Amino acid sequence: MGVSALRTEHLSKRYGRLLALDDLTLDVAAGEVFGFLGPNGAGKSTTIRLLLGLARPTSGRAWVFDTDAADVAAAHRRLAYVPADVALWPRMTGAEVLDLLARIGPGTDTAYRDELIQRFALDVSKPAGTYSTGNRQKIALIAAFATRAPLLVLDEPTSGLDPLMELQFRHAVGVARDNGQTVFLSSHQLAEVEAVCDRVGILRAGELVEVASVAQLRRLHHTEVAATFTGTPPNLTGAHGVHGLHTDGAETVRFTLNGSPAAALRALADADVATIVVREQSLEEIFLAYYGQNAR
Amino acid sequence: MIATMAAAARPERVLRGLAVRQVRRGALVVTAVCAGMSALVVVGYRSEALDPAAVAALARNPAIRTLFGEPVALDNAGGFTVWRTGTVLAVLLGVWAMLAATRITRGEEDAGRWSLLLSGRITLAEAVRQHLGVLAVVPVLVGAATAAAMIAAGVDTAGSLLHGTGLAAVGLSFVAVGGVSAQLFVSRSAANGAAAAVLVVGLLTRMVGDGVPALAWLRWLSPFGLLALTRPFDGNRGLPVLVLAFAAVLLLAFAGRLAARRDVGAAILATRGSRPARTALLGSVPVFAVRRTMRPLAAWSAGTCAYFLLLGLIARSMTEFLTGNPDFAAMAAQAGFPALGTVEGYAATLYALLAVPAGVFVAVRLAATAADENARRLTLLLAAPVTRARQLAAEAAVAGCAALVLITVAGVAMWAGTATVDAGLGAGDALVGAWNVVPVVLLCLGAAVLALGWTPRAVAAIGALPAAGGFLWQVLADSIDAPSWIRALSPFAHLAAVPATAPAWPSALGMVGIAAAGVVAGTIGYRRRDLYA
Repeated sequence: MGVSALRTEHLSKRYGRLLALDDLTLDVAAGEVFGFLGPNGAGKSTTIRLLLGLARPTSGRAWVFDTDAADVAAAHRRLAYVPADVALWPRMTGAEVLDLLARIGPGTDTAYRDELIQRFALDVSKPAGTYSTGNRQKIALIAAFATRAPLLVLDEPTSGLDPLMELQFRHAVGVARDNGQTVFLSSHQLAEVEAVCDRVGILRAGELVEVASVAQLRRLHHTEVAATFTGTPPNLTGAHGVHGLHTDGAETVRFTLNGSPAAALRALADADVATIVVREQSLEEIFLAYYGQNAR
Repeated sequence: MIATMAAAARPERVLRGLAVRQVRRGALVVTAVCAGMSALVVVGYRSEALDPAAVAALARNPAIRTLFGEPVALDNAGGFTVWRTGTVLAVLLGVWAMLAATRITRGEEDAGRWSLLLSGRITLAEAVRQHLGVLAVVPVLVGAATAAAMIAAGVDTAGSLLHGTGLAAVGLSFVAVGGVSAQLFVSRSAANGAAAAVLVVGLLTRMVGDGVPALAWLRWLSPFGLLALTRPFDGNRGLPVLVLAFAAVLLLAFAGRLAARRDVGAAILATRGSRPARTALLGSVPVFAVRRTMRPLAAWSAGTCAYFLLLGLIARSMTEFLTGNPDFAAMAAQAGFPALGTVEGYAATLYALLAVPAGVFVAVRLAATAADENARRLTLLLAAPVTRARQLAAEAAVAGCAALVLITVAGVAMWAGTATVDAGLGAGDALVGAWNVVPVVLLCLGAAVLALGWTPRAVAAIGALPAAGGFLWQVLADSIDAPSWIRALSPFAHLAAVPATAPAWPSALGMVGIAAAGVVAGTIGYRRRDLYA
């Protein structure tokens, strides 16, 4: 394992009787794009507030590149943050806010910032009071991506963006990855997480229930297979890993596959396969499978 | 289910309930202060035989009239109470009414809480009308409670009722002023600023109208002037209060009309669209705090400067009058204004008043920091490599320095006024006298930082307590001739009469020590707690 960009050990946060975050131990490697998933109230924003020192942990600790997260003067020199709900001083223009954030922040690449302003098509000469939610989010995104800080912490950064802007966001994440920056992305947009993240962590009711790469997650879960045959379909009953077997008409067989496909493939190979469609479940289906029955 | 349907059938009731919840606590405090102070001053009044010729001279003196209003019926407890507490309570009620009006309308709208509310069947105009309607009841309660308390304390019914009605009308007019400015301006702070400007101009208009006979008609243009024109316990004139109440009702209706003409989240006065970036004062957290303080400081300085310039201009007239009428010097001493007979004594007494605006200013600035935190504007700042202690230190230091500027401006303004009339106040004396209030202002700073660390919702109230609360406490203690340990609870009791006497260094250092303890304890709390972010 290389350097950790972000590390927590037994991090917990209690608000009165509510245990918002329960014993979170997480390690995000430098250079990785990490997706942080969970339904509303699962503890994602609480985790981020603890990482940023905006809230104090009830127990446990967190580090940003081996700097204690509580030492914000040092830790925040190496990160940039986009909050879920961006609030700005209403009389300051976008350009003024960006200027302020650049001057007090961890250092900004102003040429790249100007490029980002173009890419996100933001009119920075308007007072922030006139901005929509999406435009306020763009200010925070531009400020964060332009810093080139080694760690970007993004809390639902695209909830107010339109699909075109979301493409720009994915592009900017790609640029950050190419620069070797680490991205910690908390999001509900599963397609977005699927598109940009190397690994994901799934949080449920304050507990981390899964950490895996997107590919691993899929492998851990079902693969849907549909095959048609010119002759009689083979008997797959009892084949290792095959579940939910059913036939559509005389020629078509559908089933889901768990684990190694070797047994099923051998059985299929013996028959005359006309077509075969193998579909991995989307992250959304995996996510819903986690929360479908007992949502919190 | 039945309850839900009943509520849905009458959205106005739900709105009114919401408004009541937001104003009831403040309303109780203001009512208790107004009624309690009036009753206590009535009870504490000691009748003194006054020479009628001296009373006539007092009523003619422009300086007395400017500062305290026209002295009428001072020979009875009711008249004295109105003269002593009328303006102070009217200002208190007016400030509260105007701040409450902008808070529950524009403040809620600004914070986005009305978007959901107004997505139902309720229109914006309806919401504004119902909220202001509920708030308008409060001044009426305050006036009724004040009149009832004075009658119970044993003064004439007609005068008490008129005074209570006058207070109610002033309160109502500031509910209306706050309501209108909340429609005109897009942010709560701008609405507050405009309403406060109306209040200060109203107060200065009353002072000039009272002080300059040729401009006496000006009083008809000011809520405080109209209140004075009612002359409770003397002439008992009803017309001015009717005019004021009528104007207030018209303004309230106007606020509703304006609300109907604008969009939710927008204002009648449009904000300017694009403009070039002004990148001065953005370089660091302290410098950014300076930037955010400049505009409020300019506004507060303008108001305080005008007030103290006026006080300077009347200094000579006042001191000469009191030197010639020792009876009134004694009476002024009972009202908490000793040693007004020399220009230094006069300056010392009035500079003590300066602690109130300067202390409230500091409290309001730190309350703005709490508001920034609550609105999550601080999140982006504190996500930068900026510790909370550093950010708080910057805000507190800038607020403190700005208060020092405010105090200095007032000192210079009073000196300029006295110099204009050759009253003989030295520039050095003027500055030292003004700076004498610094310990009280620092107490406010300490209290506000303490509140920010431990109860961030009450920063303005707790921060203003040493100055505004201490001032009211002293007025009350002087008026009822309270025992010295009660007087000593007010920081004002520990201010020496600088420049008439030397500064009281031990008590000044004591206050600075308490203030420092408040800052330290508040900083510890602020560093430890979770932020609203």
